[in-house]
Amino acid sequence: MLAYIIRRVGQSALVLLIVGLVAFSMFRFVGDPIDNMLGQERTAEDIDRLRAQLGLDQPFVVQYYKFLEGAVQGNFGVSYRQGRPVAEILLERAPATLELAMVSGVLAILFGIALGVFTAIRRDGVLANVIMSGSLIGVSLPTFLIGILLIYLFSVELGWLPSFGRGETVDLGGWSTGFLTESGLKALILPSITLGLYQMTLIMRLVRSEMLEVLRQDYIRFARARGLRDRAVNFRHALKNTMVPVITVIGLQLGAIIAFAIITETVFQWPGVGLLFINAIQFVDIPVMAAYLMLISVMFVGINLLVDILYFFIDPRLRADRSGGH
Amino acid sequence: MRRLLRLAAVIAAFAPAVQAEEFTWAVNTDPQTMDPHAVNSAPVLGFLNNVYEGLVRRGKDMTVEPALATSWEPIGNGEGWRFTLRQGVTFHDGAEFTAQDVLFSYQRASDEVSDTRSWFAPVSDVVVVDDYTVDFMTTAPNPIFPGSIANWMIMDSGWAEANNAALPDKENGNYATLNTNGTGAFRVTAREPGLRTVLEPFDSWWDEAEHNITRAELTPIQNPATALAALLSGDVDFINPVPIQDVARLKENSDVDVIQGIEARVIMLGFPHEAETLKYSSETTDANPFADVRVRQAVAHAINVPAILQTIMRGNAEEVSQLVSAAMQGYVPALAERPAHDPDRARALLTEAGYPDGFSFGFKCTNNRYLNDEAVCQAITGMLAQVGITATLDAMPVQNYWPELRADNYDMFLLGWSPGTFDAEHPIRFLAATPNEELRVGSWNFGGYSNARVDELLPMIQSEIDPVARQAMIDETTKILQDEMAYVPMYVQPLVWGVRSNIELTQRPDDFFILRWVTVN
Amino acid sequence: MSDFPIPVKPKSRFRLALESDLFYTFKRSPVAMVSAAVVLVLVLAAVFAPLIAPTNPFNPASLNLMNGFTPPMAPNAFTGDSFLLGTDDQGRDVFSTILYGMRISLFVGVAAVFFAMVFGITLGLISGYVGGWTETIIMRTADVQLTFPSILVAMLIFGVAKGVTPVEYRDQMAIWVLILAIGLSDWVQFARVVRGATLVEKNKEYVQAARLIGRKPGAIMLRHILPNVLSPVLVIATISLALAIIAEATLSFLGVGAPPTQPSLGTLIRIGQGFLFSGEWWILLFPAATLLVLALSVNLLGDWLRDALNPRLR
Repeated sequence: MLAYIIRRVGQSALVLLIVGLVAFSMFRFVGDPIDNMLGQERTAEDIDRLRAQLGLDQPFVVQYYKFLEGAVQGNFGVSYRQGRPVAEILLERAPATLELAMVSGVLAILFGIALGVFTAIRRDGVLANVIMSGSLIGVSLPTFLIGILLIYLFSVELGWLPSFGRGETVDLGGWSTGFLTESGLKALILPSITLGLYQMTLIMRLVRSEMLEVLRQDYIRFARARGLRDRAVNFRHALKNTMVPVITVIGLQLGAIIAFAIITETVFQWPGVGLLFINAIQFVDIPVMAAYLMLISVMFVGINLLVDILYFFIDPRLRADRSGGH
Repeated sequence: MRRLLRLAAVIAAFAPAVQAEEFTWAVNTDPQTMDPHAVNSAPVLGFLNNVYEGLVRRGKDMTVEPALATSWEPIGNGEGWRFTLRQGVTFHDGAEFTAQDVLFSYQRASDEVSDTRSWFAPVSDVVVVDDYTVDFMTTAPNPIFPGSIANWMIMDSGWAEANNAALPDKENGNYATLNTNGTGAFRVTAREPGLRTVLEPFDSWWDEAEHNITRAELTPIQNPATALAALLSGDVDFINPVPIQDVARLKENSDVDVIQGIEARVIMLGFPHEAETLKYSSETTDANPFADVRVRQAVAHAINVPAILQTIMRGNAEEVSQLVSAAMQGYVPALAERPAHDPDRARALLTEAGYPDGFSFGFKCTNNRYLNDEAVCQAITGMLAQVGITATLDAMPVQNYWPELRADNYDMFLLGWSPGTFDAEHPIRFLAATPNEELRVGSWNFGGYSNARVDELLPMIQSEIDPVARQAMIDETTKILQDEMAYVPMYVQPLVWGVRSNIELTQRPDDFFILRWVTVN
Repeated sequence: MSDFPIPVKPKSRFRLALESDLFYTFKRSPVAMVSAAVVLVLVLAAVFAPLIAPTNPFNPASLNLMNGFTPPMAPNAFTGDSFLLGTDDQGRDVFSTILYGMRISLFVGVAAVFFAMVFGITLGLISGYVGGWTETIIMRTADVQLTFPSILVAMLIFGVAKGVTPVEYRDQMAIWVLILAIGLSDWVQFARVVRGATLVEKNKEYVQAARLIGRKPGAIMLRHILPNVLSPVLVIATISLALAIIAEATLSFLGVGAPPTQPSLGTLIRIGQGFLFSGEWWILLFPAATLLVLALSVNLLGDWLRDALNPRLR
């Protein structure tokens, strides 16, 4: 058991190293940072000097090694664009993304489960079918278009909600939160809907199909036969049993929410790490790109690791297979 | 709700008490640093003009007017310029402004690591005569020197040294990257790069304030649709730029005003003058048709610039025939006529040059640098196809674009040029002179255009004191560039600002947004 | 079921059951039938675009810039030309551009999903069946893959491809880069599902039996395991198709999409959204509506397929 976990952690570390290597090999295809750092009146000599100073004239493996050397000591370098340590920038931007991801995740889970249960219980109802088909409209349009349409409707035409940004934030010991002001809460609405729509649809469909599956199991039939009321059967027994796969998927989707935040943040000018990353691409800010990718990798690899370890405990069949396989 | 707020605002306006006039504005690019000498780019210099000041500054019509210097005069027979400094000026931290700060800022801005050092290429020495007099000695007579340093901003020597910011640091940043200490009308009270920058008026400013702002906030918004939505919904008071296609709609909206002007930026096509062969042709692999002036002329005649301006630019831009717009110093009115749109002429020229069936080539273009650049390039591709030369359009983000041009990976390219000095000499120096690392000329002349007479005229233009003689030389250069069709200038990009209608402001032709000219009503 | 004609050619029992069952539920589901009809019409329209479209928007020489921004069904102020769905900023007929654009979107979507499916199934089968280090390497590669936002994958492939292809092929290249980028970010879910199913199937008696009688691993994987994991794969493939078409639009918004001279539906939407506020609604509305109808129909089909292939839900 312990050996398995150790081996799994070792593999994850290797994955992170490879991610970094691949990332560094691709940066030069993103563009040349030099042009953004020098003005119109630069000379070829200035270009060469700055390039050498940044170490960009060296092979990417060397650049990568230098990055790793710093990263091990918690130093992710200095942003080409902002001239500040990358770690500082990431810490500053993380609350915005995490709060957005959290709100859209909670919305997706609440509405997803509620609508999923409803559509499963009223399987042949007209409303349930409308919800089922209607929810697909949300995932049949690109996220950026949904965001722009929401802004057009709720900010420009109706004037109800802010069109961009986080509103006013309150600083709580280094964590800037938008939860404590009215403008901050209002600003959360449109981006979190845009971001959570896809996950909501996914969870709703998953809950529905799991519910349908559970509802026809024998123990539910017995419960009904025993005369328990529908509500008790549906929620206390059926829903509880659909939760295991739902939780797994939610865990995996958490990473997707943060990855997809890139587009939502771009449309709403939401000052999170996704917007930071898009800006970094635009300005070829290699230290920021590298640190962001490492951060996302750690997150994904961590979640995967957790899920695998959980499976290890839950499903003995997989355990037998794993120990046999290795 | 909004109406209620507006009502509240009206009521508040009648209240006798002094009220806070907050102003928020959005731009598409955040100034990347607060250091006035680190990066020579319009977003940085434009923003910092509100915080720092130079010896001279430009007025609403771009005329050079006194700022930290009250007067200036040439020394002797063009050996340099003497500046008399303003007395009683203090920096935001209370330190007094003296000649030492000027000398320090000169050393800082002209250092090898500073992006602004090209401004001081003509300067041989700076001499502090007394606390309020400074001499700038030049290697040759330099008639346009005072105007050329209007964006050179003075920093307090004591502050910079105390905070270890005696030189700009582009790679690692330093105190001056995030903090400011100027003499300008506003001081920066909060700076969160990429998010917001907050300004408040400087109470001890030497000049009389024209504005009524008590607090101003700058936010970058990249997505043009989002920025426009923010303006329309009143979340911001001002945006720059307004997408060109939305101008007509905004003009109908009574809550919003559009302020238009002609920018200094000329959009043109460039060619590989030096290349032996085309790089991206499927059949013409042994020759470079663009080396023939007739082919370049054919391109000029094939492009229907009025149609581009009419549709894509929605009538918001002006045609141009030379490398600078009519608003610049040194523009040649006598040579104002562009080659007419004449497809038959273009075909005839191609036949004459030996390409009766045309040829194919690769056309490089940006898609996020100039206004509607991608759409313009698409239209050009269509127009060229109509005279028989088929371009394969390759539109890319600007971060990939310059490396491609430097590596000569093009057969024709799009270029925009805005003369930092507002003078016709600027594009001649950077675009038309034969590239020469030592003389520091021709650094943006990607195609390697070369004409001995132009190279000869450039230093003469730079040092000629007599305006008439100087203009004659510029006339001659402009004529050569037109005759040889070194570039095909097409139009001058418009400046389009959008502002809530309760705001009054002044648009300067260099696209700098000057906060001290803003009034909130 | 009895009215379904028995195929002349003998088929495996599995396929027979699949087909007859599918057709049975298909006929009972109006949503599925309508969606299928819509998809069919759109696919045909895309395939025969050169015959249906009044103009060829991909030919730059045929465009008249002065026709730009013509509203639907109204004559242009300068040229007097009239267009069914109006024109865009380049004077391209929106109707023709949608037909040609749908061609590219569908091709990219189908090819990307096919690529992801083949790649994912192969790796999933191998890692599930072989196990050991092979499995570890494949599944950890999947982790790496999940880490990279598809935009970055697309940019990498773009960059590399740019270095090796001459510019005159670059327009076509962009399409293949998109296929590769979308396909690469999609194969993981196929691999995971197939691997999971393989892990379960390979311990079942019939596979053990096949192994005992000396069947080769490749044959066992293809003949025995694959058919049994095909239903979830089919469902994922359908939904992935809709996702791939949308992903292409998203990539276009982020700046790596089909070239503007040969726009896909996604590129058209990206261009059109710039005109949302300026009053030229038709440039955005018609491509967006087409994309919505296309993706929605494919999604509804996928939905139906999921239920239909899960007999316990019927």
